Amino acid sequence: MLDISKLERRWLKYKIKKILPYTLLITTVTILGFTIPFVLSNRHSSKAMIPLKKDAIKVKAPNTENDEGAMVLEPSMHFIESMDTPSTPITNTPTSSTKPAPTPKHSIAPIASLPTPTPAIAQTQATKAPQPIVKGKLTSIKRDDTAFDIHEIEDRFKDTSNPNLGVYIAKYHYDHGNYSEAYNYALKTNSINNSIDDSWLIFAKALVKLGKEEQAKKTLQLYISNSNSQAAKNYLDTLDKGGSK
Amino acid sequence: MEHSLFLKPRDLFMDVVNPKDYVQIDSVSHMYQSLKTSVQKPLKMILLYGRPGTGKSMLLHKLHHDLSKHQKVCMIDIPIIDEDDFLRVLAHKIYSYASREALTLTRFLELSTAVNYPVIPIVLLDEAQLYSPSLMEKIRLISDARALKFVIALHKTDNEDILAKEHFQTRIWESIELQNASHEELKIYIQKKLLKANCFDVASMINDKNIKLINKLTRGNYRDSNKLMFSLFSLYVWYEENNPRKIKYNALATKFIEMAAIHTGLIHA
Repeated sequence: MLDISKLERRWLKYKIKKILPYTLLITTVTILGFTIPFVLSNRHSSKAMIPLKKDAIKVKAPNTENDEGAMVLEPSMHFIESMDTPSTPITNTPTSSTKPAPTPKHSIAPIASLPTPTPAIAQTQATKAPQPIVKGKLTSIKRDDTAFDIHEIEDRFKDTSNPNLGVYIAKYHYDHGNYSEAYNYALKTNSINNSIDDSWLIFAKALVKLGKEEQAKKTLQLYISNSNSQAAKNYLDTLDKGGSK
Repeated sequence: MEHSLFLKPRDLFMDVVNPKDYVQIDSVSHMYQSLKTSVQKPLKMILLYGRPGTGKSMLLHKLHHDLSKHQKVCMIDIPIIDEDDFLRVLAHKIYSYASREALTLTRFLELSTAVNYPVIPIVLLDEAQLYSPSLMEKIRLISDARALKFVIALHKTDNEDILAKEHFQTRIWESIELQNASHEELKIYIQKKLLKANCFDVASMINDKNIKLINKLTRGNYRDSNKLMFSLFSLYVWYEENNPRKIKYNALATKFIEMAAIHTGLIHA
């Protein structure tokens, strides 16, 4: 006598057993099919990055070889030099993104002196100027990597939101005449830390340079009411007297 | 259930060897004709061998059925292992000699000379691989004395070379090997069997895919095919009565064939 229900159960078991290896095989192939190209593409991208670095290193070598034997290429370090100079506002520059430097209020230059070119900037301009090649003498050419450096610092500022970096970048742009950029970075820095005198001063100075003197005054008054900053007061007085434009 | 479409086909495939159920397939028919011709020759022994389920028993029964109308033919389908019993049964069936005592070979040969048949009687031995070597030796001696003619059917196995055996080497004999059914032969076998019994509706349900699966499961073994078909139609009878929605009349369901194979042990699930 046929036990149909039992037979149907056995048939189902048999079917599952029969199909299972194929299912596993197809699943494995599918997974591998998706995984292998992904892994390979990752390898390609990591390999592609290495030659880029090599190229970056190679850039320096051909320059020295192609130029005259007397020419020596050196990376520009003037912005670090300017940081070391206590009399310039750039000395406030942070050197590390991981360890934010404290804001040295005492090193802030007087507001009145800001528009005037600092000795460091003057030195930078001097290095930028082409030097005449004198025959029989070694000529040293200093490469200007300032633009590259500021972008790097901007990236670091984006990553770390370190207000000291923000102040540095704002000052840099202000010094280079990029007042709108200086305004932007000072604004960003103020939003991160609203108690940095330098940042507010740059912010106000940038506004003045952009023709918004009244707004600069209002901003300074607001800041003075909150912080009682002497530097801000000095600059506001200067503005009221109609100077420092 | 009495009016089930599948009841008659089920009974057709019952595992019973009946010469009336013999189905003419070209290859088997050719074998049968050569067997019939060999029997007419002055041969002492004819060997019919092949793998299980190749139709050896059916051919022997068919031969018995056809030859017994014209001459004395004795069919021993269940092997008689005991040597005394074997001779006593033969003496009784062929010479109508009944004895409760053990019959010696000498006495048996005396009986054969005493009872003179116009044509040498034929003994058909099925499942002869079960006979002992000593009994096979006695069979050889009887055939040598031309007292009886033997048609011996036995299984061919991979491990054993039957034809190399001593008692088959020196005799004047003919050997016929039967093969398992091919895909086409199995199709003809099943279709003819159904059509012979006027089961046209069921015969039309069987398609090539079904036959391919059945042949794959049974490996062309006629006996296994019969068992499978019997189980299959038993399933159909049950479903027709209890769950007719599951039956599709345009083809045999693969599921049911596989279930029947599980039931008959052809699939181990």
